[in-house]
Amino acid sequence: MISARAVLARATPVLACLGLLAVWQATSLVLNNDSFPTAIEAIRAIPLILGDKEALINILASLRRMAIGFGVAVAMSIPLGLMMGRSRTVASFFNPLLMVIYPVPKAALMPIIMLWLGVGDIAKTLVIFLGVSLPVIYHSFAGAKAVEEKMLWSGAAMGLSAAQRMTRIVLPAALPEILTGCRTGLVLALITMITSEMIARQSGAGNILFNALDMGQYDTVFAMIIIVGAMGIGLDALFEKMRARLVKWSEPQFDIPVSFS
Amino acid sequence: MPSRSNIQAELKPARKPAAAMIEIDHVSQTFQTSGRQNHLALSDISLTIEDGAFVSILGPSGCGKSTLLYIVGGFVNPTQGLAKVKGRAITGPGPDRGPVFQEFALFPWKSVLGNVMYGPRQQGVRPAEAEAQSRALIEMVGLKGFEDFYPKELSGGMKQRVALARTLAYHPAVLLMDEPFGALDAHTRTRLQNDLLNIWERDRKTVLFVTHSVEEAVFLSDKVVMLTRGPGRIRQIVDIDLPRPRRRTELLLDPRYQKYLVDIERMFDDADENELPP
Ligand SMILES: Nc1ncnc2c1ncn2[C@@H]1O[C@H](COP(=O)(O)OP(=O)(O)O)[C@@H](O)[C@H]1O
Ligand SMILES: [Mg+2]
Repeated sequence: MISARAVLARATPVLACLGLLAVWQATSLVLNNDSFPTAIEAIRAIPLILGDKEALINILASLRRMAIGFGVAVAMSIPLGLMMGRSRTVASFFNPLLMVIYPVPKAALMPIIMLWLGVGDIAKTLVIFLGVSLPVIYHSFAGAKAVEEKMLWSGAAMGLSAAQRMTRIVLPAALPEILTGCRTGLVLALITMITSEMIARQSGAGNILFNALDMGQYDTVFAMIIIVGAMGIGLDALFEKMRARLVKWSEPQFDIPVSFS
Repeated sequence: MPSRSNIQAELKPARKPAAAMIEIDHVSQTFQTSGRQNHLALSDISLTIEDGAFVSILGPSGCGKSTLLYIVGGFVNPTQGLAKVKGRAITGPGPDRGPVFQEFALFPWKSVLGNVMYGPRQQGVRPAEAEAQSRALIEMVGLKGFEDFYPKELSGGMKQRVALARTLAYHPAVLLMDEPFGALDAHTRTRLQNDLLNIWERDRKTVLFVTHSVEEAVFLSDKVVMLTRGPGRIRQIVDIDLPRPRRRTELLLDPRYQKYLVDIERMFDDADENELPP
Protein backbone atom coordinates (compact mmCIF):
# COMPACT_ATOMS: atom_id res chain seq x y z
CA MET A 1 0.00 0.00 0.00
CA ILE A 2 2.76 2.38 0.98
CA SER A 3 4.74 1.47 -2.12
CA ALA A 4 1.67 2.09 -4.28
CA ARG A 5 1.46 5.56 -2.77
CA ALA A 6 5.19 6.08 -3.41
CA VAL A 7 4.82 5.04 -7.04
CA LEU A 8 1.89 7.40 -7.40
CA ALA A 9 3.89 10.23 -5.83
CA ARG A 10 6.69 9.70 -8.35
CA ALA A 11 4.35 9.40 -11.31
CA THR A 12 2.25 12.44 -10.44
CA PRO A 13 4.52 15.11 -12.02
CA VAL A 14 4.83 13.07 -15.22
CA LEU A 15 1.08 12.55 -15.37
CA ALA A 16 0.50 16.26 -14.77
CA CYS A 17 2.83 17.15 -17.66
CA LEU A 18 1.19 14.66 -19.99
CA GLY A 19 -2.25 15.97 -19.01
CA LEU A 20 -1.19 19.54 -19.66
CA LEU A 21 0.20 18.62 -23.08
CA ALA A 22 -3.00 16.73 -23.94
CA VAL A 23 -5.15 19.73 -23.02
CA TRP A 24 -2.85 21.96 -25.06
CA GLN A 25 -2.99 19.64 -28.06
CA ALA A 26 -6.80 19.43 -27.94
CA THR A 27 -7.30 23.17 -27.44
CA SER A 28 -5.04 24.15 -30.31
CA LEU A 29 -6.71 21.61 -32.63
CA VAL A 30 -10.11 23.06 -31.75
CA LEU A 31 -9.01 26.69 -32.06
CA ASN A 32 -6.97 26.02 -35.20
CA ASN A 33 -5.14 29.35 -34.86
CA ASP A 34 -1.78 30.11 -36.52
CA SER A 35 -0.35 31.74 -33.41
CA PHE A 36 -1.20 28.71 -31.26
CA PRO A 37 0.67 25.66 -32.56
CA THR A 38 -0.18 22.20 -31.28
CA ALA A 39 1.90 20.66 -28.54
CA ILE A 40 3.36 18.16 -30.99
CA GLU A 41 4.49 20.93 -33.36
CA ALA A 42 6.14 22.77 -30.49
CA ILE A 43 7.89 19.64 -29.22
CA ARG A 44 9.10 18.89 -32.77
CA ALA A 45 10.75 22.32 -32.87
CA ILE A 46 12.81 21.64 -29.70
CA PRO A 47 15.49 19.43 -31.36
CA LEU A 48 15.78 22.01 -34.16
CA ILE A 49 16.65 24.72 -31.63
CA LEU A 50 18.98 22.54 -29.60
CA GLY A 51 20.63 21.30 -32.77
CA ASP A 52 21.31 24.82 -34.00
CA LYS A 53 24.81 25.90 -33.00
CA GLU A 54 23.92 29.60 -32.87
CA ALA A 55 20.91 28.97 -30.63
CA LEU A 56 22.89 26.67 -28.39
CA ILE A 57 25.62 29.28 -27.93
CA ASN A 58 22.92 31.79 -27.05
CA ILE A 59 21.34 29.54 -24.46
CA LEU A 60 24.70 28.65 -22.94
CA ALA A 61 25.61 32.34 -22.75
CA SER A 62 22.35 32.93 -20.88
CA LEU A 63 23.12 30.13 -18.45
CA ARG A 64 26.62 31.44 -17.89
CA ARG A 65 25.34 34.94 -17.03
CA MET A 66 22.81 33.37 -14.72
CA ALA A 67 25.43 31.23 -12.98
CA ILE A 68 27.76 34.20 -12.46
CA GLY A 69 24.96 36.51 -11.29
CA PHE A 70 23.61 33.87 -8.94
CA GLY A 71 27.02 32.81 -7.64
CA VAL A 72 28.29 36.32 -6.90
CA ALA A 73 24.97 37.30 -5.35
CA VAL A 74 24.94 34.29 -3.03
CA ALA A 75 28.60 34.76 -2.07
CA MET A 76 27.99 38.39 -1.10
CA SER A 77 24.46 38.16 0.31
CA ILE A 78 24.99 35.35 2.82
CA PRO A 79 27.75 37.13 4.80
CA LEU A 80 25.83 40.41 4.69
CA GLY A 81 22.58 38.77 5.82
CA LEU A 82 24.32 36.90 8.63
CA MET A 83 26.04 40.05 9.87
CA MET A 84 22.74 41.93 9.78
CA GLY A 85 21.17 39.14 11.79
CA ARG A 86 23.79 39.27 14.53
CA SER A 87 24.60 42.98 14.71
CA ARG A 88 21.96 45.58 15.37
CA THR A 89 24.22 48.30 13.96
CA VAL A 90 24.71 46.54 10.63
CA ALA A 91 21.00 45.73 10.45
CA SER A 92 19.87 49.29 11.12
CA PHE A 93 22.24 50.54 8.44
CA PHE A 94 21.21 48.15 5.65
CA ASN A 95 17.57 47.50 6.53
CA PRO A 96 16.11 50.81 5.24
CA LEU A 97 18.17 50.49 2.09
CA LEU A 98 16.91 46.99 1.39
CA MET A 99 13.32 47.91 2.23
CA VAL A 100 13.43 50.48 -0.55
CA ILE A 101 15.05 48.15 -3.09
CA TYR A 102 13.04 45.03 -2.21
CA PRO A 103 9.69 45.79 -3.92
CA VAL A 104 11.25 47.34 -7.05
CA PRO A 105 11.12 44.85 -9.96
CA LYS A 106 14.79 44.50 -10.82
CA ALA A 107 14.07 44.34 -14.56
CA ALA A 108 12.62 47.85 -14.28
CA LEU A 109 16.13 49.04 -13.52
CA MET A 110 17.32 47.51 -16.79
CA PRO A 111 16.93 50.68 -18.92
CA ILE A 112 19.13 52.70 -16.55
CA ILE A 113 21.66 49.93 -16.24
CA MET A 114 21.75 49.59 -20.04
CA LEU A 115 22.28 53.30 -20.33
CA TRP A 116 25.30 53.13 -18.02
CA LEU A 117 26.76 49.73 -18.81
CA GLY A 118 25.53 49.01 -22.33
CA VAL A 119 23.55 45.98 -23.46
CA GLY A 120 26.32 43.43 -22.95
CA ASP A 121 27.00 40.73 -20.39
CA ILE A 122 27.76 43.08 -17.52
CA ALA A 123 24.39 44.83 -17.52
CA LYS A 124 22.44 41.59 -17.74
CA THR A 125 24.52 39.83 -15.12
CA LEU A 126 24.09 42.80 -12.79
CA VAL A 127 20.30 42.59 -13.06
CA ILE A 128 20.41 38.89 -12.25
CA PHE A 129 22.69 39.67 -9.31
CA LEU A 130 20.21 42.24 -7.99
CA GLY A 131 17.29 39.86 -8.42
CA VAL A 132 19.00 37.06 -6.51
CA SER A 133 20.56 39.17 -3.73
CA LEU A 134 17.46 40.33 -1.91
CA PRO A 135 15.79 37.03 -1.05
CA VAL A 136 19.16 35.55 -0.07
CA ILE A 137 20.01 38.53 2.16
CA TYR A 138 16.57 38.51 3.68
CA HIS A 139 16.53 34.79 4.49
CA SER A 140 20.13 34.81 5.79
CA PHE A 141 19.19 37.76 7.99
CA ALA A 142 16.11 36.00 9.37
CA GLY A 143 18.03 32.76 9.86
CA ALA A 144 20.91 34.41 11.72
CA LYS A 145 18.55 36.41 13.89
CA ALA A 146 16.74 33.26 14.99
CA VAL A 147 19.90 31.48 16.18
CA GLU A 148 19.46 30.61 19.83
CA GLU A 149 21.68 32.76 22.00
CA LYS A 150 22.51 29.89 24.37
CA MET A 151 24.01 28.04 21.40
CA LEU A 152 26.42 30.95 20.86
CA TRP A 153 27.15 31.08 24.57
CA SER A 154 27.96 27.38 24.56
CA GLY A 155 30.39 28.04 21.72
CA ALA A 156 31.93 31.00 23.51
CA ALA A 157 32.50 28.86 26.60
CA MET A 158 34.36 26.36 24.43
CA GLY A 159 36.66 29.18 23.34
CA LEU A 160 35.24 30.11 19.91
CA SER A 161 36.07 33.68 18.92
CA ALA A 162 33.38 36.01 17.58
CA ALA A 163 34.42 35.28 13.99
CA GLN A 164 34.46 31.52 14.62
CA ARG A 165 31.00 31.70 16.18
CA MET A 166 29.81 33.38 12.98
CA THR A 167 31.19 30.78 10.59
CA ARG A 168 30.91 27.70 12.78
CA ILE A 169 27.65 28.29 14.64
CA VAL A 170 25.55 31.03 13.03
CA LEU A 171 26.20 29.82 9.47
CA PRO A 172 25.32 26.14 9.97
CA ALA A 173 22.42 26.95 12.31
CA ALA A 174 20.93 29.35 9.76
CA LEU A 175 21.67 27.10 6.78
CA PRO A 176 18.11 25.75 6.31
CA GLU A 177 16.76 29.30 6.13
CA ILE A 178 19.65 30.44 3.90
CA LEU A 179 19.02 27.63 1.43
CA THR A 180 15.32 28.50 1.30
CA GLY A 181 16.41 31.98 0.24
CA CYS A 182 18.83 30.56 -2.33
CA ARG A 183 16.08 28.43 -3.84
CA THR A 184 13.87 31.48 -4.30
CA GLY A 185 16.94 33.28 -5.65
CA LEU A 186 17.56 30.56 -8.23
CA VAL A 187 14.07 30.85 -9.70
CA LEU A 188 14.39 34.64 -9.66
CA ALA A 189 17.72 34.32 -11.47
CA LEU A 190 16.01 32.50 -14.32
CA ILE A 191 13.19 35.03 -14.44
CA THR A 192 15.52 38.04 -14.45
CA MET A 193 17.78 36.33 -16.98
CA ILE A 194 14.94 35.99 -19.53
CA THR A 195 13.51 39.42 -18.70
CA SER A 196 16.86 41.14 -19.14
CA GLU A 197 17.28 39.49 -22.54
CA MET A 198 13.82 40.57 -23.57
CA ILE A 199 14.74 44.16 -22.79
CA ALA A 200 18.31 44.14 -24.09
CA ARG A 201 17.68 42.16 -27.25
CA GLN A 202 21.14 41.18 -28.28
CA SER A 203 21.70 37.53 -27.39
CA GLY A 204 20.46 34.81 -25.12
CA ALA A 205 17.47 32.50 -24.69
CA GLY A 206 15.07 35.40 -24.24
CA ASN A 207 16.30 36.92 -27.49
CA ILE A 208 15.66 33.71 -29.46
CA LEU A 209 12.15 33.63 -28.06
CA PHE A 210 11.32 37.20 -29.05
CA ASN A 211 13.00 37.02 -32.43
CA ALA A 212 10.87 34.00 -33.24
CA LEU A 213 7.81 35.92 -32.11
CA ASP A 214 8.71 38.83 -34.40
CA MET A 215 9.12 36.46 -37.32
CA GLY A 216 5.89 34.61 -36.63
CA GLN A 217 7.65 31.28 -35.93
CA TYR A 218 5.17 30.32 -33.27
CA ASP A 219 6.31 26.71 -32.91
CA THR A 220 9.78 28.04 -32.01
CA VAL A 221 8.24 30.47 -29.49
CA PHE A 222 6.43 27.66 -27.72
CA ALA A 223 9.43 25.35 -27.98
CA MET A 224 11.57 28.00 -26.28
CA ILE A 225 8.99 28.38 -23.54
CA ILE A 226 9.18 24.62 -22.95
CA ILE A 227 13.01 24.72 -22.93
CA VAL A 228 13.16 27.60 -20.47
CA GLY A 229 10.48 26.02 -18.30
CA ALA A 230 12.34 22.70 -18.30
CA MET A 231 15.56 24.48 -17.33
CA GLY A 232 13.75 26.07 -14.38
CA ILE A 233 12.22 22.82 -13.24
CA GLY A 234 15.50 20.95 -13.68
CA LEU A 235 17.60 23.50 -11.80
CA ASP A 236 15.07 23.73 -8.99
CA ALA A 237 14.88 19.95 -8.63
CA LEU A 238 18.67 19.70 -8.59
CA PHE A 239 18.96 22.43 -6.00
CA GLU A 240 16.23 20.90 -3.86
CA LYS A 241 18.04 17.59 -3.88
CA MET A 242 21.27 19.24 -2.73
CA ARG A 243 19.40 21.29 -0.10
CA ALA A 244 17.65 18.25 1.34
CA ARG A 245 20.99 16.49 1.67
CA LEU A 246 22.71 19.44 3.35
CA VAL A 247 20.03 20.05 5.97
CA LYS A 248 18.92 16.49 6.60
CA TRP A 249 19.42 17.20 10.29
CA SER A 250 16.67 19.83 10.37
CA GLU A 251 13.90 18.14 8.40
CA PRO A 252 10.79 17.25 10.42
CA GLN A 253 10.98 13.81 11.92
CA PHE A 254 7.54 12.53 11.09
CA ASP A 255 6.55 13.00 7.50
CA ILE A 256 2.95 11.93 7.92
CA PRO A 257 0.24 14.16 6.50
CA VAL A 258 -2.37 15.12 9.08
CA SER A 259 -5.31 15.33 6.72
CA PHE A 260 -6.22 13.66 3.41
CA SER A 261 -6.88 10.33 5.11
CA MET B 1 35.01 9.40 69.86
CA PRO B 2 38.15 8.52 67.96
CA SER B 3 36.72 5.39 66.31
CA ARG B 4 33.86 7.30 64.73
CA SER B 5 36.10 9.96 63.23
CA ASN B 6 38.23 7.22 61.71
CA ILE B 7 35.26 5.77 59.93
CA GLN B 8 34.28 9.22 58.71
CA ALA B 9 37.75 9.74 57.34
CA GLU B 10 37.55 6.50 55.44
CA LEU B 11 34.13 7.16 53.96
CA LYS B 12 34.80 10.74 53.06
CA PRO B 13 38.37 11.18 51.81
CA ALA B 14 39.95 14.28 53.25
CA ARG B 15 38.83 17.31 51.24
CA LYS B 16 41.48 19.38 49.55
CA PRO B 17 42.13 22.47 51.65
CA ALA B 18 39.13 24.67 50.97
CA ALA B 19 40.29 27.05 48.25
CA ALA B 20 37.87 29.57 46.78
CA MET B 21 36.94 28.63 43.22
CA ILE B 22 34.39 31.36 42.66
CA GLU B 23 34.09 34.64 44.51
CA ILE B 24 31.11 36.87 43.95
CA ASP B 25 31.74 40.26 45.47
CA HIS B 26 28.86 42.73 45.97
CA VAL B 27 27.34 41.97 42.59
CA SER B 28 24.21 43.82 41.47
CA GLN B 29 22.51 43.66 38.11
CA THR B 30 20.17 46.26 36.64
CA PHE B 31 18.44 45.70 33.30
CA GLN B 32 17.19 48.42 30.99
CA THR B 33 13.71 47.32 30.00
CA SER B 34 11.36 48.99 27.57
CA GLY B 35 8.54 49.51 30.11
CA ARG B 36 10.13 49.87 33.50
CA GLN B 37 13.32 51.68 32.59
CA ASN B 38 15.57 50.33 35.34
CA HIS B 39 14.83 46.89 36.63
CA LEU B 40 16.92 45.60 39.50
CA ALA B 41 17.33 41.85 39.02
CA LEU B 42 20.07 41.12 41.57
CA SER B 43 21.01 43.17 44.58
CA ASP B 44 24.33 43.07 46.37
CA ILE B 45 25.17 39.38 46.13
CA SER B 46 28.34 38.22 47.87
CA LEU B 47 29.17 34.56 47.87
CA THR B 48 32.21 32.33 47.90
CA ILE B 49 32.13 28.86 46.39
CA GLU B 50 34.85 26.49 47.40
CA ASP B 51 36.70 24.24 45.02
CA GLY B 52 34.87 20.94 44.68
CA ALA B 53 31.65 22.13 46.29
CA PHE B 54 28.20 21.43 44.92
CA VAL B 55 26.26 24.63 45.51
CA SER B 56 22.66 25.27 44.55
CA ILE B 57 21.02 28.63 43.99
CA LEU B 58 17.40 28.27 45.06
CA GLY B 59 14.63 30.77 44.62
CA PRO B 60 11.30 31.50 43.00
CA SER B 61 11.03 32.13 39.28
CA GLY B 62 12.24 35.59 38.26
CA CYS B 63 14.43 36.17 41.32
CA GLY B 64 17.61 36.43 39.28
CA LYS B 65 19.05 32.91 39.53
CA SER B 66 19.86 32.64 35.84
CA THR B 67 21.29 36.15 35.82
CA LEU B 68 23.69 35.22 38.63
CA LEU B 69 24.78 32.11 36.74
CA TYR B 70 25.26 34.10 33.52
CA ILE B 71 27.45 36.56 35.41
CA VAL B 72 29.69 33.74 36.65
CA GLY B 73 29.69 32.31 33.11
CA GLY B 74 30.85 35.67 31.77
CA PHE B 75 27.85 35.93 29.46
CA VAL B 76 26.51 38.97 31.30
CA ASN B 77 28.62 41.74 32.81
CA PRO B 78 27.33 42.80 36.22
CA THR B 79 26.38 46.47 36.50
CA GLN B 80 28.04 46.55 39.91
CA GLY B 81 30.51 44.41 41.76
CA LEU B 82 32.92 41.78 40.57
CA ALA B 83 32.95 38.03 40.08
CA LYS B 84 36.17 36.05 40.15
CA VAL B 85 37.17 32.53 39.20
CA LYS B 86 40.36 31.13 40.74
CA GLY B 87 41.14 34.66 41.90
CA ARG B 88 40.95 36.21 38.43
CA ALA B 89 38.23 38.68 37.50
CA ILE B 90 35.66 37.28 35.08
CA THR B 91 35.54 39.33 31.88
CA GLY B 92 33.95 36.86 29.52
CA PRO B 93 33.13 33.20 28.88
CA GLY B 94 35.93 30.66 29.04
CA PRO B 95 36.49 26.91 28.97
CA ASP B 96 37.14 26.88 32.74
CA ARG B 97 33.39 27.42 33.25
CA GLY B 98 31.09 25.06 31.35
CA PRO B 99 27.39 25.91 31.09
CA VAL B 100 24.52 23.44 30.82
CA PHE B 101 21.28 25.22 29.94
CA GLN B 102 17.66 24.26 30.50
CA GLU B 103 17.15 24.66 26.74
CA PHE B 104 19.98 22.15 26.01
CA ALA B 105 21.35 24.45 23.24
CA LEU B 106 22.85 21.50 21.35
CA PHE B 107 24.21 22.06 17.85
CA PRO B 108 21.39 20.51 15.78
CA TRP B 109 23.58 20.01 12.68
CA LYS B 110 25.99 17.81 14.62
CA SER B 111 25.41 14.23 15.70
CA VAL B 112 25.64 13.29 19.38
CA LEU B 113 29.30 12.42 18.86
CA GLY B 114 29.88 15.63 16.88
CA ASN B 115 28.38 17.70 19.68
CA VAL B 116 30.49 16.09 22.39
CA MET B 117 33.68 16.28 20.29
CA TYR B 118 33.15 19.96 19.51
CA GLY B 119 34.81 21.35 22.64
CA PRO B 120 37.89 19.08 22.65
CA ARG B 121 38.41 19.70 18.92
CA GLN B 122 38.18 23.43 19.53
CA GLN B 123 40.79 23.02 22.23
CA GLY B 124 43.13 21.38 19.74
CA VAL B 125 42.78 17.77 20.89
CA ARG B 126 43.59 15.49 17.94
CA PRO B 127 40.55 13.94 16.22
CA ALA B 128 41.20 10.32 17.17
CA GLU B 129 41.84 11.21 20.79
CA ALA B 130 38.85 13.56 20.97
CA GLU B 131 36.65 10.85 19.53
CA ALA B 132 37.81 8.21 21.98
CA GLN B 133 37.28 10.54 24.95
CA SER B 134 33.88 11.59 23.65
CA ARG B 135 32.71 8.04 23.12
CA ALA B 136 33.68 7.23 26.69
CA LEU B 137 31.76 10.26 27.95
CA ILE B 138 28.70 9.35 25.91
CA GLU B 139 28.78 5.92 27.48
CA MET B 140 29.17 7.48 30.93
CA VAL B 141 25.99 9.56 30.50
CA GLY B 142 24.17 6.42 29.37
CA LEU B 143 23.86 7.08 25.64
CA LYS B 144 25.97 4.29 24.19
CA GLY B 145 24.55 3.39 20.81
CA PHE B 146 23.22 6.88 20.11
CA GLU B 147 26.52 8.39 18.90
CA ASP B 148 25.28 8.97 15.36
CA PHE B 149 21.83 10.31 16.25
CA TYR B 150 20.98 13.94 15.56
CA PRO B 151 19.55 16.04 18.42
CA LYS B 152 16.11 16.12 16.80
CA GLU B 153 16.00 12.35 17.11
CA LEU B 154 16.45 12.41 20.91
CA SER B 155 14.05 12.87 23.82
CA GLY B 156 14.45 15.80 26.21
CA GLY B 157 16.23 13.72 28.81
CA MET B 158 18.65 12.35 26.22
CA LYS B 159 19.35 15.83 24.91
CA GLN B 160 20.24 17.01 28.38
CA ARG B 161 22.57 14.03 28.80
CA VAL B 162 24.30 15.03 25.57
CA ALA B 163 24.53 18.64 26.75
CA LEU B 164 26.15 17.48 29.99
CA ALA B 165 28.61 15.24 28.12
CA ARG B 166 29.40 18.04 25.68
CA THR B 167 30.31 20.34 28.56
CA LEU B 168 32.22 17.72 30.55
CA ALA B 169 34.22 16.94 27.40
CA TYR B 170 36.32 20.10 27.64
CA HIS B 171 37.02 19.62 31.33
CA PRO B 172 35.73 22.88 32.82
CA ALA B 173 36.80 23.45 36.41
CA VAL B 174 33.28 24.66 37.18
CA LEU B 175 29.96 23.32 35.93
CA LEU B 176 27.25 25.97 35.62
CA MET B 177 23.86 24.31 35.43
CA ASP B 178 20.74 26.43 34.92
CA GLU B 179 17.65 24.41 35.83
CA PRO B 180 19.02 21.65 33.62
CA PHE B 181 16.26 19.21 34.53
CA GLY B 182 13.45 21.76 34.72
CA ALA B 183 11.95 20.88 31.34
CA LEU B 184 11.91 17.13 31.98
CA ASP B 185 9.22 14.85 33.37
CA ALA B 186 9.50 13.80 37.02
CA HIS B 187 10.79 10.31 36.30
CA THR B 188 13.51 11.43 33.87
CA ARG B 189 14.44 14.25 36.23
CA THR B 190 14.99 11.84 39.12
CA ARG B 191 17.14 9.55 36.99
CA LEU B 192 19.26 12.41 35.73
CA GLN B 193 19.73 13.75 39.27
CA ASN B 194 21.01 10.34 40.36
CA ASP B 195 23.30 10.07 37.36
CA LEU B 196 24.61 13.59 37.84
CA LEU B 197 25.55 12.79 41.43
CA ASN B 198 27.27 9.57 40.36
CA ILE B 199 29.28 11.42 37.73
CA TRP B 200 30.08 14.22 40.17
CA GLU B 201 31.30 11.74 42.79
CA ARG B 202 34.08 10.66 40.41
CA ASP B 203 35.96 13.93 40.11
CA ARG B 204 34.07 16.36 42.37
CA LYS B 205 34.11 19.34 40.09
CA THR B 206 32.81 22.59 41.46
CA VAL B 207 29.13 22.83 40.52
CA LEU B 208 26.89 25.87 40.61
CA PHE B 209 23.40 24.53 40.16
CA VAL B 210 20.33 26.72 39.69
CA THR B 211 16.95 25.31 40.60
CA HIS B 212 13.55 26.31 41.97
CA SER B 213 12.99 22.87 43.50
CA VAL B 214 13.76 22.61 47.22
CA GLU B 215 13.97 18.84 47.00
CA GLU B 216 16.42 18.91 44.11
CA ALA B 217 18.62 21.47 45.86
CA VAL B 218 18.78 19.53 49.13
CA PHE B 219 19.31 16.17 47.44
CA LEU B 220 22.24 17.34 45.34
CA SER B 221 24.03 20.06 47.26
CA ASP B 222 26.59 20.71 49.93
CA LYS B 223 25.23 24.18 50.28
CA VAL B 224 21.93 25.81 49.31
CA VAL B 225 21.90 29.54 48.66
CA MET B 226 18.36 30.85 49.04
CA LEU B 227 17.50 34.01 47.13
CA THR B 228 14.59 36.31 47.92
CA ARG B 229 11.83 37.06 45.46
CA GLY B 230 13.16 39.64 42.94
CA PRO B 231 15.27 41.65 43.23
CA GLY B 232 17.34 38.68 44.29
CA ARG B 233 19.21 39.06 47.54
CA ILE B 234 20.80 36.28 49.54
CA ARG B 235 18.19 35.27 52.07
CA GLN B 236 20.01 32.45 53.77
CA ILE B 237 22.76 29.95 53.11
CA VAL B 238 21.99 26.46 54.37
CA ASP B 239 24.75 23.86 54.70
CA ILE B 240 23.40 20.44 53.82
CA ASP B 241 25.19 18.05 56.10
CA LEU B 242 24.09 14.72 54.68
CA PRO B 243 26.41 11.80 53.99
CA ARG B 244 27.65 11.03 50.50
CA PRO B 245 27.34 9.13 48.28
CA ARG B 246 23.64 9.90 48.57
CA ARG B 247 20.92 7.42 47.71
CA ARG B 248 17.48 8.81 47.15
CA THR B 249 15.74 5.89 48.83
CA GLU B 250 17.92 6.20 51.93
CA LEU B 251 17.51 9.94 52.09
CA LEU B 252 13.75 9.76 51.89
CA LEU B 253 13.79 7.82 55.17
CA ASP B 254 16.36 10.10 56.76
CA PRO B 255 14.78 12.57 59.22
CA ARG B 256 17.65 15.01 58.67
CA TYR B 257 16.81 15.21 54.98
CA GLN B 258 13.13 15.73 55.80
CA LYS B 259 14.05 18.45 58.26
CA TYR B 260 16.06 20.35 55.65
CA LEU B 261 13.11 20.25 53.28
CA VAL B 262 10.68 21.46 55.90
CA ASP B 263 12.99 24.18 57.21
CA ILE B 264 13.63 25.59 53.76
CA GLU B 265 9.96 25.45 52.76
CA ARG B 266 9.12 27.29 56.00
CA MET B 267 11.62 30.02 55.27
CA PHE B 268 10.05 30.64 51.87
CA ASP B 269 6.55 30.62 53.42
CA ASP B 270 7.61 33.22 55.98
CA ALA B 271 9.11 35.34 53.25
CA ASP B 272 5.90 35.22 51.25
CA GLU B 273 3.84 36.25 54.27
CA ASN B 274 6.12 39.17 54.95
CA GLU B 275 6.38 40.37 51.38
CA LEU B 276 2.92 39.83 49.95
CA PRO B 277 -0.01 42.02 50.99
CA PRO B 278 -2.74 40.01 52.75
N1 LIG C 1 18.13 40.58 29.27
C1 LIG C 1 17.22 41.03 30.15
N2 LIG C 1 16.63 42.24 29.96
C2 LIG C 1 15.73 42.70 30.84
N3 LIG C 1 15.34 42.07 31.94
C3 LIG C 1 15.87 40.87 32.20
C4 LIG C 1 16.84 40.28 31.32
N4 LIG C 1 17.20 39.08 31.83
C5 LIG C 1 16.49 38.93 32.97
N5 LIG C 1 15.69 39.99 33.20
C6 LIG C 1 14.81 40.18 34.35
O1 LIG C 1 15.56 39.94 35.53
C7 LIG C 1 14.82 39.18 36.45
C8 LIG C 1 15.56 37.92 36.81
O2 LIG C 1 15.60 37.07 35.67
P1 LIG C 1 16.25 35.62 35.73
O3 LIG C 1 17.64 35.75 36.17
O4 LIG C 1 15.99 34.98 34.43
O5 LIG C 1 15.38 34.92 36.87
P2 LIG C 1 15.26 33.37 37.22
O6 LIG C 1 16.28 32.63 36.47
O7 LIG C 1 15.44 33.32 38.71
O8 LIG C 1 13.87 32.96 36.87
C9 LIG C 1 13.46 38.94 35.84
O9 LIG C 1 12.54 39.88 36.38
C10 LIG C 1 13.68 39.19 34.38
O10 LIG C 1 12.53 39.72 33.80
MG1 LIG D 1 16.06 31.11 35.00
